[in-house]
Amino acid sequence: MSGIDKGYWYLASYPKSGNTWCRVFITELQRLAAESEAQELNLNRDIETGAIASSRHWLDDQLGVNSCDLSFAELDPLRGRAGESAWLFAEGERFHKVHDAFKSPDSRGRAVVSTAGCRGVVYILRHPEDVVVSLSHFFSWPMDRCVDYLLDPSAALVPGERQGGNQVRQHMGRWDQHVRSWADQSELPVLVIRYEDMLSKGAETFLALATFLDLPAEPELVEQALANTSIEKLKKLEEQVGGFAEKPEGCERFFRSGRTGEGAEQLSIEQRKRLAKGLAEVMERFHYEGNTSD
Amino acid sequence: MHSYTAFGLRISSDLPLPELAQDLAAATLTGDAVPEISIAEGSHHDWPAIQLSPHSTPTLAMAAADWRLELEGVGWFRAWDGTRLSWERWDDSVSNRDVRTFLVTSGIGALLIQRGALVLQGTTLVREGKAVLLLGFPASGKSTLAWCLLQQGWQLLSSELSVVDAQGLVWPGVQQLKLWQDSAVALDLDWQQLPLVRRGLKRYALGPADLPVAADPTPLALIYGLGRSKRANHKSEKEKPKEGPITTVEDASSSSEQELFRAWARKSEREALLKLRNHAYQPRFYRAMEQEASLFLQASQLLKRVAVNELIAPDGITKMRTALEAVDLLNPDALIREEEPLSAVEVEA
Repeated sequence: MSGIDKGYWYLASYPKSGNTWCRVFITELQRLAAESEAQELNLNRDIETGAIASSRHWLDDQLGVNSCDLSFAELDPLRGRAGESAWLFAEGERFHKVHDAFKSPDSRGRAVVSTAGCRGVVYILRHPEDVVVSLSHFFSWPMDRCVDYLLDPSAALVPGERQGGNQVRQHMGRWDQHVRSWADQSELPVLVIRYEDMLSKGAETFLALATFLDLPAEPELVEQALANTSIEKLKKLEEQVGGFAEKPEGCERFFRSGRTGEGAEQLSIEQRKRLAKGLAEVMERFHYEGNTSD
Repeated sequence: MHSYTAFGLRISSDLPLPELAQDLAAATLTGDAVPEISIAEGSHHDWPAIQLSPHSTPTLAMAAADWRLELEGVGWFRAWDGTRLSWERWDDSVSNRDVRTFLVTSGIGALLIQRGALVLQGTTLVREGKAVLLLGFPASGKSTLAWCLLQQGWQLLSSELSVVDAQGLVWPGVQQLKLWQDSAVALDLDWQQLPLVRRGLKRYALGPADLPVAADPTPLALIYGLGRSKRANHKSEKEKPKEGPITTVEDASSSSEQELFRAWARKSEREALLKLRNHAYQPRFYRAMEQEASLFLQASQLLKRVAVNELIAPDGITKMRTALEAVDLLNPDALIREEEPLSAVEVEA
């Protein structure tokens, strides 16, 4: 089967929700299935699952212009069209990370990612309290600011309107808006998985992931890939390569604890209440408990 | 009609293009100079049907000698036969400045490729009669570095795209630097007085009237690929939240290894060739217009004359500016040399 027939997939998530772990797992599963090299996974060399959908370089190639000459508001409606033919030349790069919400206020009702030729999306979500703790380490921000961020309907990752950067703006909106934008869209088949299930019901969850993505889905292989990409293993591998390339400045390590329940331990009652109040519906829908006490 | 010369070609245009050098000969001897490239407004409804190359995209319709760009909200552009470039506004809200931003980059770039030119994505500067080409993708810091070099007595030959001919000469091209606001501020420019690249962008344009420019084709002495230190990449602009302080490279901590320019030479011919291929101006245009073989041939010819070096600038505009004072880019051997690192992180695909 050619690369064209295979199509491509998105791995979408709010930041710090397990996206990278999924990509590492996919890479490892493919490596094991191919039985090519006996080498251990190299984090900075081998995680080539595909370009991030917000890559400026990729957009420039697709659009045929220097995207720095377009405003973010002009770019959003173009981005969805931009990828329509990208899969033609991206053999081997079939799993694209996305942190954007499915649509942005500027995208004129269109998806900000291409849907043509896309076979589906895996949406990964994680308890918002734990996302706050992880973001706080990642951005080097106080917890309170991260709580505000998850509740901000205009939250976005941007290189700054005042400078270029290798990526374009990624609008995310409020955490619950982000979840809904992907989970409830009807343009792409979607598999929603919870980070907590990736941890507590790994074999089952990753088998479902592999099956959905049309990857080798033999239980033994999946379990081996899972064992090779445990958080402990990833921490060790990160040490070996001297820091994961996707780690921002000031962030000590990319693969930190990976635990669940850190938010409940580390956030104040007031912070937990704000999250529970602001994100109630979606938290309940995905069985996330918050602090709703009066 | 306005007349200009750029990339060794005489250009006539119904739209003023102040980014290009005026064609003085045409201004004085009206009528007898036939332009090699004509730029004029036209309707995309008049475009004939073409057999699309599979390398076309939803915004780019391309065939061997025909290139069409539909840029929603901005306009339609068509370059064909290596001689004609037409443009049409999306609607009345689109300004001349909006149109010419894309005419003098993608539009002229496509025409040059149709003419069989070697067009590289980079900015070329001149000193002591020698040209140095800074290769780099958009947002890799070419313009900021170029502006700093201009303060040291260099002249701008061609920005964003540079044409190198078979004799190894780089031709004067578009002579404009576009600086983001953070760069303009860090460089102590009075940015409020500078024209915007386009309305709504915090990006400023310095044209040939504001900059020291070179007027003659100049032999290419050296190529530098602009890279980023692994550390700067770790800063990962992609993961910067919106409300965050606009963390420019300025905020990086002050470890001394980051305060100097570092360089290494591409020793392998294959690597150097790939570097040039990847930094052709819009490789997709080359593929779709069936010019890729010619690109490889010209790039390998060029490598017989000119070495490709990688250059890592210090993190931070102020540090870069300071470090530049101690550096002579015409003498790469005097730069801090490094072995080609295995894990070299470049601003690449």
